[in-house]
Amino acid sequence: MIITSYILMIIGAIFLALGGFGVFRMPDVYNRIQAGTKATTLGAFALILGVGFAEPSWFLKIALIIVFIAITNPVGSSTLARAAYKSGVSATLLQKQKEGEDK
Amino acid sequence: MKQVVSILLVLAVGFFIFSALYFPNQGDSAFDSYGEVDLDERVSSSFIDKNVTGENDEVVFGESANLEDGSANYVTSVIVNYRSFDTLGEVTVLFISAFGVGLLLSGRRKKQAFAHQPNFILKYGARLVFGIMVIFGVYMFSHGHLAPGGGFPGGAIIAAALLLLYLADNDFRAKMKAFKVTEGIAGSIYVILGLLAIVIGGYFLMNFLPTGIVGTIFSAGLIPIIYVLIGLKVGSEIAGIVDSFLTVEVEK
Repeated sequence: MIITSYILMIIGAIFLALGGFGVFRMPDVYNRIQAGTKATTLGAFALILGVGFAEPSWFLKIALIIVFIAITNPVGSSTLARAAYKSGVSATLLQKQKEGEDK
Repeated sequence: MKQVVSILLVLAVGFFIFSALYFPNQGDSAFDSYGEVDLDERVSSSFIDKNVTGENDEVVFGESANLEDGSANYVTSVIVNYRSFDTLGEVTVLFISAFGVGLLLSGRRKKQAFAHQPNFILKYGARLVFGIMVIFGVYMFSHGHLAPGGGFPGGAIIAAALLLLYLADNDFRAKMKAFKVTEGIAGSIYVILGLLAIVIGGYFLMNFLPTGIVGTIFSAGLIPIIYVLIGLKVGSEIAGIVDSFLTVEVEK
């Protein structure tokens, strides 16, 4: 049981770290949003499930937290992406800027 | 006329405060001089005589029963038991500020329109999250005597859930009358419990119910009841403030 929880926590930590790295490294808003959503959702799920396996009496609360993250994370990022699109952020903006610098 | 009345009121209150503070030896003053107080008649002496090594037994979580206070959370036992009157004042302060906001921003009001319509995902996602937030708020104020939290943050979380719906849905508007009724009922039950404690125990807001076993949800006597009332009251007050700030007056 405790080994499972450690493995899950390590997987979660790795995915959260990759998500953070993706937000830092990706070229434009939409790519950053998808790096910061997909990776961190899975990372948070794994991390919290790991805590749940380590402490089985907390499992009900942990299920509620997972449902909360499963709703808020995608909805939040979709709203961010929609707001960015509505305010005219182009998906290829940074690429064009780079090309402009090269000329 | 109004000015004259208000000046007279200020003078009268000032006279009573001044006479109580600076003429302590004339008659039955409310305040005794320093060092002349008979501590055996005061509530504080029982707390001053308390110590950590003496007659108090060790408290075991989930086993100790019928303690003086019964709350597993020290902060709650101070806020809602020993200084419950102070908390009643705090709730009143919050009520007065909410009342002031409601008085200033009164009249027929409609929802403030946003520049962009929120889409389907945001609308229904916010409704799902609203349920979880309300559950968490209720959990918070019903477990105030067991864990950190309590009525004030629990009520704020419930009001935040309402704020989420206000921001995520352009057509949503809560029925404020229900919140006002809840607030009034919760506040008056708090005062009624305090008066009931005078009748049963002898002083205002005494913890007259049996305290039960430390760490179980039905323990600590009056504390969880009062914290649920505070949670409902604070939640409905802040919800009223949120509603006042996110609506605009309808022009005729």
